[in-house]
Amino acid sequence: MTIASDDIRQLIRLDTGEIDRRIFVDEEIFELEMREIFGRAWLFLCHETQIPKPGDFFEATMGRDNVLVVRQRDRSIKAFLNTCTHRGNAVCRAEEGNTRNFMCTYHGWTFDLAGDLVGVPGMETYYGNRLDKSKHGLKKVSQLDSYKGFVFATFDPTAPPLEEFLGATGRLSIDLLAERADEMEVIPGVQKFIVDCNWKLPTDNIPDWYHPQITHMSAVSSDVLPGLRVQEEIVDGGGAKTPDGQRIEQLPQGRFTVTDCVTVLGEYGHYIGGPRNGPRDEATPRPWRTRPGFVEAVGPVGMEANGHPSIFPHLWIVTSSGQVSVRIPRAANKTEIWWWGFRPKNASDEEKAMLLAHQTHVFGPAGILEQEDGENWAQGTMHSYGEHSSQIPHLLKMNIGHGQVIHEHGLARIESALNEHPQLWQYASWQAWISGASWDELLRRTTPGDRM
Amino acid sequence: MTITERSDIRTIETLLLQHEVEQFYYEEAALLDAHQYDHWVDLFTEDTHYFMPIRRTMSRRQLDKEFTKPGEMAFFDDTKEILRGRARKFNSGTAWAEDPPSRTRHLITNVQIKQIEEDELEVSSNFLLYRTRLKSEVDQWVGRRQDRLRQTDGGLRIARRYIFLDQTVLLSRNLSNFF
Repeated sequence: MTIASDDIRQLIRLDTGEIDRRIFVDEEIFELEMREIFGRAWLFLCHETQIPKPGDFFEATMGRDNVLVVRQRDRSIKAFLNTCTHRGNAVCRAEEGNTRNFMCTYHGWTFDLAGDLVGVPGMETYYGNRLDKSKHGLKKVSQLDSYKGFVFATFDPTAPPLEEFLGATGRLSIDLLAERADEMEVIPGVQKFIVDCNWKLPTDNIPDWYHPQITHMSAVSSDVLPGLRVQEEIVDGGGAKTPDGQRIEQLPQGRFTVTDCVTVLGEYGHYIGGPRNGPRDEATPRPWRTRPGFVEAVGPVGMEANGHPSIFPHLWIVTSSGQVSVRIPRAANKTEIWWWGFRPKNASDEEKAMLLAHQTHVFGPAGILEQEDGENWAQGTMHSYGEHSSQIPHLLKMNIGHGQVIHEHGLARIESALNEHPQLWQYASWQAWISGASWDELLRRTTPGDRM
Repeated sequence: MTITERSDIRTIETLLLQHEVEQFYYEEAALLDAHQYDHWVDLFTEDTHYFMPIRRTMSRRQLDKEFTKPGEMAFFDDTKEILRGRARKFNSGTAWAEDPPSRTRHLITNVQIKQIEEDELEVSSNFLLYRTRLKSEVDQWVGRRQDRLRQTDGGLRIARRYIFLDQTVLLSRNLSNFF
C-alpha cells in the first residue's frame, strides 16, 4: 500500500498525537522527503576547522547526494557534487584530505578547487576543441554559508539566507556549543556508522527524555561514567515490570529522571527539548555556562534550556559533551549516523582528555548510551512494514494540549512537565515541508502558535 | 655446549613463547565468546589502554592519516576502569542490546611476536569476529590487533591493545562486543 492516494494531512494528527507509521517505510514518502526537505533545506556539511588549509576537503552528504566541501586558495569555502559531469564517476573517492585538483579516474577530466573544468584529455585531438569547458564544471550547491564556523548549504536558490533559516532557535542551538570558548575546533576523526532504520526515528529520539530511564538503565545502574547516577530515586513505574517481575520503580535512577522541562520551538521545525538547567547538573560541571561571552550570547532562555537542540531536518547538537550528529537518510530503511566532537582550541591537555573521554564513551556505536538506541530504531522501522503493524499509530500523546507557549526574548518556549511537544513539532513541520509549501507558506505554518 | 645446541635452545624458547602467547589469545577469545566479561577484564593491566581508532578512506599519498591517533576521536578509547564499567553494564541484566545476547566467535590468527623486551612483548594478531543477533542479523569484523603483553606473576596481561578494523564507515548498528 502506498500513501499516494492519502492526504498528507492525515499522516500527522496534531490533535491526538498520532503519527501514521507508514511514513517510516513508504518509498513515495521517502522520495518526497528527498525532494522537498533534503533538496531545499539548509543542511549541515562540516565545521570550518576541519578544512583549514587551501585544498583541504571533506566529503559531506546532502540527502543521497555526496558533496565535496573544499577550502579555496582565497580561504573561502565552496561545495559541489562529487560526480563527474562527463560520465558520473566520483571525482574524489577519499573521505577527506588535501588535494591540488580533482581528477576523475575514468577519462581524466580535471576540475580545480573551485570545481571548474580545467582539463580534458584529447581536447584537441578527440574533441577538436569543440567542447565548452565552462559549461561542464562540477555542479555547485545553490547557496553556501556558515554560522560561527558551522558550514551549511542548500540546493534551493530561493531558500532564505542561512541566518534566517536558523532563526533565533537554530542560532541559539549553535551558540550553546560555539560560545563555550573563544574558538572551538573539531577533534580529528568523524565517527560514521549505519543503522537499518528510517532517519526520522533517531531524529525523533533527540528530545526524548522519556526513554533513557528504561533504554539506558544499564548505563545508569552500572556507574560506567561518573554523574549519570545522581541519587537513588523512587520513580513512577506506572506498573512497569521487568520480565522476571521486578518493579521498575525499585531500580536505580539518575540524571535522566526529568520533571521540569523548557521546550523551545522554532520556525522551520527547529527546537530545543529537555530539562531546565538545575542542581542535577552539578554532577557534571559545565563551567562554560558562567563564561561572560556565553551568558551574553545565549541569553536568558539559553541559560535555562538544558535539553537537546535540533536543527531541522537532521542535525543534533549535544551541548553537554560538545558534539554534533547528523542522521543521514540513504534509503527509507537505511540511515548513516555521523558524530563530530568539538573542543576549545586553547583547552588544557586535561580538559581535552576529559571532553574526549565523554565523547567516546557516551555516544557512537560503542557508546554506553547509543549501543542500545539502534535497537529501538531498527525494530521500530521493521515493524512499520507489517500490513497490520503499520496501521497502529506512532504515539506522541504526553501532555498534549497542555503546552502553553510563552513568546518572550524573541523565542517561543513551553515551561512544563516532561512532554513530547518537540517531536510533535518536528512532525508538524515535516508535514508542512513535504506538502511542498512555498517558503512564505512554510514559515507561516512552522511559526509557533500559543498551544501545543 | 656447541653452537648448534645453543641455537636449538633459542629455537625451543621461541616456540614456547609463541605457544604461550597463542594459548593466551585462545583462552581470551573463549572468555569473550562465553560472555565472561569480568574474567576477560582481569586479563588487562591496571594501566592498560584499549583503543579502536577511526579509520578513514584516504588516497594512497595520504595514507599516514588513515587512522586517528590517541588524543583524537575513536570508537573505543578506554582505561581499565571503563572496561570494568562496560563489563558491569553487560552483567546488569538491563543492557538491552545484549539481551537476548548476541552469539559471537572470535577467531585469532597470524600471531606474530614483533619485539621481545625484558618483561613485555609487542604482538600483532589478526581477528575475525563473527556475530549473529536476534533471528537474522549477521555482522562480521575483520582486523588486526597490536598488543603490548606484559609478563606478570599471574601470567601474560594486556598492557595495551590497539584495534585496527578493516572498515571505515562502520557497517553495523552498534559495537556491543569486545575485540
